[in-house]
Formats: sequence, C-alpha cells, structure tokens
Amino acid sequence: MSPSQRKRLGIIFLVLAGVAISAALAIMAMQSSFEYFKTPSEINTEGFEKNQTYKIAGIVRKGSLQRLDDGITQRFRVTDCEQDVVIQYTGLLPDLFREGQAIVSVGKFTDEPALIASQVLAKHDENYVPNEAADAVMLQQANKCDQADGPIDY
Amino acid sequence: MILFIGFFNTVWDALGRFYHRLGSPREFYKISNVVTPIFGILFLSLSLVGAYYGLFVAPADYQQGDSFRILYVHVPVAWMSLFVYVTMAVAAAIGLIWRIKMAFVVTICSAPIGAAFTALALLTGSIWGKPIWGTWWVWDARLTSELILFFLYLGIMATYYAFEERKTAEKAAALVSVVGVVIVPIIHYSVEWWSSLHQGVTVFAKGGPKMPASMLFPLAMMALGFMFYYGYALFLSMRHTVLKNEQSSRWVKELAQNAEQATHS
Repeated sequence: MSPSQRKRLGIIFLVLAGVAISAALAIMAMQSSFEYFKTPSEINTEGFEKNQTYKIAGIVRKGSLQRLDDGITQRFRVTDCEQDVVIQYTGLLPDLFREGQAIVSVGKFTDEPALIASQVLAKHDENYVPNEAADAVMLQQANKCDQADGPIDY
Repeated sequence: MILFIGFFNTVWDALGRFYHRLGSPREFYKISNVVTPIFGILFLSLSLVGAYYGLFVAPADYQQGDSFRILYVHVPVAWMSLFVYVTMAVAAAIGLIWRIKMAFVVTICSAPIGAAFTALALLTGSIWGKPIWGTWWVWDARLTSELILFFLYLGIMATYYAFEERKTAEKAAALVSVVGVVIVPIIHYSVEWWSSLHQGVTVFAKGGPKMPASMLFPLAMMALGFMFYYGYALFLSMRHTVLKNEQSSRWVKELAQNAEQATHS
C-alpha cells in the first residue's frame, strides 16, 4: 500500500466511524419512537392518559374472549403473562386471532381502564410449523402463560 | 505441512491473479463472456427447483395455510436487498482507496439491481401482511428502515447521474454508498432492538432455524438462485457499462468491427 492509498483508507475509515457514531447517538436519542408497541406491563407501570392513541401488544389471555350484547363488539384481555390489559373492539377480528396468539391493538383509553381499539392486528411469530402438528402447537400456545415464570417475549 | 502451505500459496496466487485480471476492463469482458451464461443457468435451475419444492412439496403452514408460500420470494429478495448493498459499498470503498475503475462499475451497476430487490421485498411483504397481519403497511422499525434502504439506492443512482463528468460522478456515488452502509445493521437488528409488528429471525435464530427442513430446503434453493441472478444481472449490466466507458479504446473498436463483419458476411 502506498502512502496515498493508506491516507484514503484512513479517511474512509474516519468517515464511516463518524457516520456510525452519529447514527448510534441519533438512534439512542430517539429510542422510544422506534418502538412499535407497548406491553401490558409497561402500560400498567407507566400509567396511561385518556384519549391518547396507544399500540398495545400481548397474547390473548386464555378464556377471556366475550361477546357483548350487540353481537359485533368483543372484549378480551391481552397479557405478557405478568399483567393484563382489557381490549374492546367492534368489528371483525383477524383470522389468526385465538388464545395464545400475539395481537397488536391500536386505540384509546376512555372512562374505564379498557383500550377501545380502532384496529386489531395479528402479530405473526417466527415459527413455521407443518399442518399436521397444528393442534399440538395451538394447545401449547394457548397454555403459554401456565409455564411462564415472568414476562414472555412475543 | 509444507505441501499444504505450497497448495495454499498456489491457490492464493491464482486468486490474486484472477482479481487483478477482473480489475482490467478488457480482461473482465473476456471472463464475463464465459461466466455470465453460467450464472444465468445456475439462477434458472436453482430457482426452478426451489419454486417447485416451495409450491408443491413443502407442507402448508399450520396457521397461514398456503399464503405462507410468498415467503419463498419475500425472504430471498429481502436478504438480497442487504447483500447487494454490502457488495456495492465494499466495491465503492475499494474504488475510492485503490482507484480501481472496475470497482466503481460494480457499484454503479449494483444500485438499480439492489433497488429492484428492495422494491420487491417491500411489495411481497405488503401482499403477505394484508391477510396475515390485517394491514398492508405499518411504520414499525423493520418496514421503515427497509423503505429508507430503497430511497438510499435511488439516491446513489441520482447522485451518479447528477454529474457531467464520469470520474466525479463515480466518486460521489461511491461515497454515498459507503456512508449509507450503516443502514444494513439497523435493518438486520431492527426486530431485536425494538418492538415491531414484523416477526423476529426464523432461519438464523439462536438454537437453529424455527422451521422444519421440508420448508427450509426450497428457501435455501431460492436464496442461492437469487444470489446467482444478482451475479448474472450485474455482469450483463457491467458488460454494457464497460463497453460504453471504453468505447474509444482499441479492443472495443475491434469488437465492434468484428461484430459488424459478422452481420455482413
């Protein structure tokens, strides 16, 4: 390597290091805005403000789904196996909705501590399973919180 | 031991000579005559095998049914969108440090291919997201950073075409490529660093892939096939760029004359 090439290598290295450091600092400064959702535990410990839009993700608590009298409004609980949040949603739930499935609910808190959701999305996990093993996996998912000691990842 | 070192030296020398030959436009053109069709054939055969196994042999997913099969396009193109960027940025750095003509050609020719891969990744992801998540698009960290990657590719192309003089244009585009490489780890780790709607890592997960071999095999075939497609498309594009850049040199003129004689005879 000639001196001029070494100098150019140094310059590129410095430029890259500078960009990397400034990117890292910018990311750290805006850390919270990159988070797509909050967990039920975060909502319950940090508290919530009325009429603010929240995205809350958790798995559907076993046996918590109930249909209200109007026939199209559902209430259910989402949990991270530590804490729960009650969700109320009017409309069609996603195809993947079932006990133990991770769900993202977008909506606002009004007078009661239940999120009135305007949108409910399914959060697909990283597991792919052939059809024949479906029942076993679904059963395992529904009972996720029975084996969990502490908050789970989803 | 001595034999081994001798063998290693020979291989290393051969690789070094090959690398230096690739650095000369004329030699590259000669090599690409042979290599380009090989890349094309490998791309076709691997991705046809992958597509067949992915569509007809792999079992349906337990909760997504057949709609999971779009993964066999989505995941390879998403991987390629990052792979092409890294290749492009490394070539740009080599070009800037050692002033190698051909390295800049790799950078400039990779940008549109990478942009196409990125656009496909965004599009196929959207098509998958609608039935599975219930939405075409959300502004989570993974989707947003991949969209930024798309604009970065376009920006590199725009930088190159913004300058009259080719040498300046090459250097400017190369510098943007090198600087932009920080987006690659951000995209890759976005699903680990922040909460997102996009799921985490399946194939390179800790403790092995979270997917049975019957589903994994077609994915590996498709990924390899797309890798060779990149090689094929890159070499085609580079051949064109080399001829354009070297049009005043003697060997290109000879090529043109030979081609002309061939059409008249």
